Amino acid sequence: MKKKVLLFSTFIILSFICGVIASPFFREKTYQIKEWTRKTTSPPPVSKEVILYFSDSQEQLLVPVKRRVFFGENVSTINDQIRKVLEELIKGPETKSLSPTLPENTKIRAVYTRRDVIYIDFNSSLTSNHPGGASAELVSVYSVVNTLLENFPLYSRVQILIEGTPHNTLVGHVDIRGPFRKNPEIIKKP
Amino acid sequence: MEVARKVGILSFVIFFTLVLLFSEVSLAQDNLFTGNVKLLSDSLCTRVLIQVPERTGYVVKDSDIPPRIVLNLFPLQAKFPSKEIPTFDRFIKKISILKDSRNVVKTILDLNISTYNFNVFFQKNPSFVIVEVRALGKDPVSSILGFEGVDEKKGSLALSPSPGTGGKEGGMWKVIIDPGHGGKDPGAIGPSGVKEKDITLGIAYELLNLLNQNPKFEAYLTRKDDEFVSLDKRTEIANILRGDLFISIHTNAAWDSRAMGIETFYNSHYPYGEGAEEVALRENAALASENIPSSVKNIIWDLIQNQYRKESKDFSFILQQELVKVCGGENRGVKSAPFYVLRGANMPSVLVEVGFISNPWEERKLKNRNYQKLVAMGIYRAIERYFNMFSKR
Repeated sequence: MKKKVLLFSTFIILSFICGVIASPFFREKTYQIKEWTRKTTSPPPVSKEVILYFSDSQEQLLVPVKRRVFFGENVSTINDQIRKVLEELIKGPETKSLSPTLPENTKIRAVYTRRDVIYIDFNSSLTSNHPGGASAELVSVYSVVNTLLENFPLYSRVQILIEGTPHNTLVGHVDIRGPFRKNPEIIKKP
Repeated sequence: MEVARKVGILSFVIFFTLVLLFSEVSLAQDNLFTGNVKLLSDSLCTRVLIQVPERTGYVVKDSDIPPRIVLNLFPLQAKFPSKEIPTFDRFIKKISILKDSRNVVKTILDLNISTYNFNVFFQKNPSFVIVEVRALGKDPVSSILGFEGVDEKKGSLALSPSPGTGGKEGGMWKVIIDPGHGGKDPGAIGPSGVKEKDITLGIAYELLNLLNQNPKFEAYLTRKDDEFVSLDKRTEIANILRGDLFISIHTNAAWDSRAMGIETFYNSHYPYGEGAEEVALRENAALASENIPSSVKNIIWDLIQNQYRKESKDFSFILQQELVKVCGGENRGVKSAPFYVLRGANMPSVLVEVGFISNPWEERKLKNRNYQKLVAMGIYRAIERYFNMFSKR
């Protein structure tokens, strides 16, 4: 009889512990940076044709541009690929008819992915070398968001961090507290 | 043998049920409402601070008879079925907290005064929902905002119906003018060094003068000088004043100096509660399942319907039209964008970009005092046309 009670109570305690451990998986906690995981892929492609969104000269719409991106030896995970594609975006367009959307000396401090969200941590050059102005800010945010979500369809949202922390706005207008979804309205129709 | 297998399967099932049960319990711990309510009062207003978990949405309803404010907080699990907190406050008689449904906690503030004015906002770290209650009749505006020369009539806070509810009889339309940037934040800077903050303030003052000459309007600025005012503070001022319209004036900037023209924005999402979008999205996924209580569904719909979206959009089109008519220049049209300053105002709100400071030609124009007057005139005409729509009804 005693043995049965002991067995039963161990059973209850065990299931309680499992329940507590399992509970975070039932809930989205985007703010817990520590839990961010890296997703690894099978053999990485050497190069990939990607779509980059640059701004038209009036900074009203984003124009898709195809470019082949070469991945070096260090590019093994999706996160590394995301970084590589963003670096191409920061380089700016090759034609004069289009405008860049990010300051050229912007650096990517880190890339994280968790569930359906890509988190990009930029350094402070993004804000300090930004021309300001709502239109420039809108094309900055949506060129990053649309470019990433177009090329990495596994994810559906992108959040921008600056120097490791979430910010209220990029340079005073666009609310970047949360992750963004793709904005098809800002893309120029062919 | 047969029995042992049955027992094995049974204990397996029980084990998983218990795991699910306990995880549910510990999940509830995350959104647990302790019922911690604090009261802070001064001579002008009483603030009720309700401590809530970080991601809590809220919906507010108020009534005059009986005078009360009702807040539905969600998703939140109350530790207790109900709780009454007696207060010895001038404005608030009693606070009752009820468990409305599985996920919703209802907080009722019964008031001592029948003419009141209130404001609800969310504060992070630690997270609180804060309700500010003020009595009407006195002149709190000048003391809140540091306006010295506000005369009795213009400064008094009056409950104004939103433009959506129809015309205002005999009353004045309250317009909040928000000159973009200021102080340590210069905004965009033009090629010859003209700062956005100076131009927006110039236009704002011209508009203030025009509006205050018309007895139909009373206008306020969110900043009077070259001072830094946070975006939250700007909309807080507008909400305390209970404005009928919020206009944020900015000058645009672009990477390409060729970009030019006038553009008006309204908010692309509903401006309601901190992180409410996330809550709504999460709850939205749950809407598909059938076991969610209908009261929660209603709250979510309350939330999703941005109450001032239509008005903001209407005014954006009027403003864009009048501004282009008066000032000429490139018409970039009306757009919706997720702008921070448009998300906190509890009234129709727009952000207007009156020209590109990064374009040398437009920069010279914007610097000109007479052009600033012209811009102010364009905005003024739009405001007049917009409010005329409601008086005619």
